[in-house]
Amino acid sequence: MVGPEGKVRSGVRYLGLTLILLVMVFPLLWMFRVSLMDVGSSIGMGRLLSGSVTFGNYVDLLGAGNLGRALLNSVLVGASVTLGNILFCFMTGYTLARFRHIANRLLFVSVIVVLMIPAHIVIIPFYVLMLKAGLYDTYWALILPFLVNPIGIFLVKQYVESIPPAMEEAARMDGAGELRILLAVVMPLCRPALAVLAIQVFFTNWNSFLFPYILTTSDELRTLPVALALLQGHQAVDWQHLMAGSSIAVIPVLILFIVMQRQIVSGVTAGAIKQ
Amino acid sequence: MNSPKSTALVLALPWGATLILFWLFPLVYSFVMGFTDYRLLVADYQWVGWSNYRELFLDPDFGAALKNTFVFVIGTIPVTTVVALGLALLVSRGFKGRGIFRAGFFLPSVTSMVVIALIFTNLYQRGGYVAMLAELVGLSPPEYGFLYDQGTALYSIMAMDVWMSVGYYMLIFLAGLKAIPDELYEAAEIAGAGKLRQFGTITLPLLRPVALFIVVINSIKSFQVFVEIFVMTKGKFDTATAVYFIYNEGLATHFRFGYASAAAYVLFIIIAVFSAVQFALLRRREALW
Repeated sequence: MVGPEGKVRSGVRYLGLTLILLVMVFPLLWMFRVSLMDVGSSIGMGRLLSGSVTFGNYVDLLGAGNLGRALLNSVLVGASVTLGNILFCFMTGYTLARFRHIANRLLFVSVIVVLMIPAHIVIIPFYVLMLKAGLYDTYWALILPFLVNPIGIFLVKQYVESIPPAMEEAARMDGAGELRILLAVVMPLCRPALAVLAIQVFFTNWNSFLFPYILTTSDELRTLPVALALLQGHQAVDWQHLMAGSSIAVIPVLILFIVMQRQIVSGVTAGAIKQ
Repeated sequence: MNSPKSTALVLALPWGATLILFWLFPLVYSFVMGFTDYRLLVADYQWVGWSNYRELFLDPDFGAALKNTFVFVIGTIPVTTVVALGLALLVSRGFKGRGIFRAGFFLPSVTSMVVIALIFTNLYQRGGYVAMLAELVGLSPPEYGFLYDQGTALYSIMAMDVWMSVGYYMLIFLAGLKAIPDELYEAAEIAGAGKLRQFGTITLPLLRPVALFIVVINSIKSFQVFVEIFVMTKGKFDTATAVYFIYNEGLATHFRFGYASAAAYVLFIIIAVFSAVQFALLRRREALW
């Protein structure tokens, strides 16, 4: 039952929202558009819908440039860190949920740590630590420190607490070992929480710049964001290639964003609701 | 893994090790380093007491970095918070296609900061889209582009930051809005309160904890602004921030670990004080209302 006035109002709302949407997605559309332009062609502003379309810039970057290797590194590091977080956040979160006596103290410390330590202020000791440990400029430096995170632990703890312990007790009666109960009984039940955790960790890792940048120095170990930022430093590089490289970093995120939107949103809000 | 106690210990080990090795140790280590003249490739270092801190106090670069950091934090956070709330209100109620708008607004937040910074470097350049828009409304853009001008560089980066993060905080506001029971609005409706009044007496007060959370996490994040500065200006045109200063002194030009660590601790304390003040202020106001 929408009267003519209501129709006008809803029309105005859609118009306004569409304008805002345009502002929010235009830069990414522009990135894709420039990435598909010929290097020779001008990237003038009228070219959004006209002009050449080529995939040559992508081929150049993934073939001859370092970006293919960087993509591989990002996938490798991202996958390792994500798997590590699934396992280790699960282990710790489960402990905190089920063994309450020693757990609360540890949880308290973890939460304080994550809330109070601004990660960027420890770049100097991190660098020195990795240098002295012989891990500087290795894959270990990119993976080891990031294998478990407090927000992920919190997420799992919260979820495990919502599962009745009856299933575990039944398995224990049947003589199943603790490890078996953990991996075969509890972990499958936690899949929704672990999916939220996985996507959050993967995105954070995929996009992270400062730590991968300061902890490596060889071209062979650069992840995508680092390789892109350094590519920009080259005098010879043109916008078409730079935007193609950026698109390579964005496309996997975009696909995951579309497929796992629900998990991503609950990952964002899970932290907030607990406050 | 027999007794529950030993099981728990084994399970908590990875986090315990990470906590000690990669969080607590660096924090203590950098505190100690701040009182030395430790630098790269010099094996022996001396205790220098407070001299790093005294030098920082007189260092005009550090002063400028702190000033820029404060401009960034104080300039972006109110705008981000208000715009995020506005967006949340616009897409909160049920109408067709709101999922698309939510997703679109949120999309920049999941994109890499390096990528966003690269795109905006293009958009802000001489003759770029933003310059064109400025001319369209009768403003004259800076001659060499927005990032090559002392008067616009930092503000341009701040505007980009607001654009990028509003969608993320919009989602948190949406969760907060959803938690407000409908009955409150229904009761207000019956009592004859208009929409504006309902917003002022129900929505805003009940969203205060969410807003506090947003302001605190956003300031902890914004005090550490670095990547966009690194990519877009390399700290030139009066855009160097505190973390950029730490990076530059410690890991880029002089490799003065001690001096950079002292700077990091100054920032750490500023962030801690700022968070504490925000909590206290918002809590007091809550009590007054």
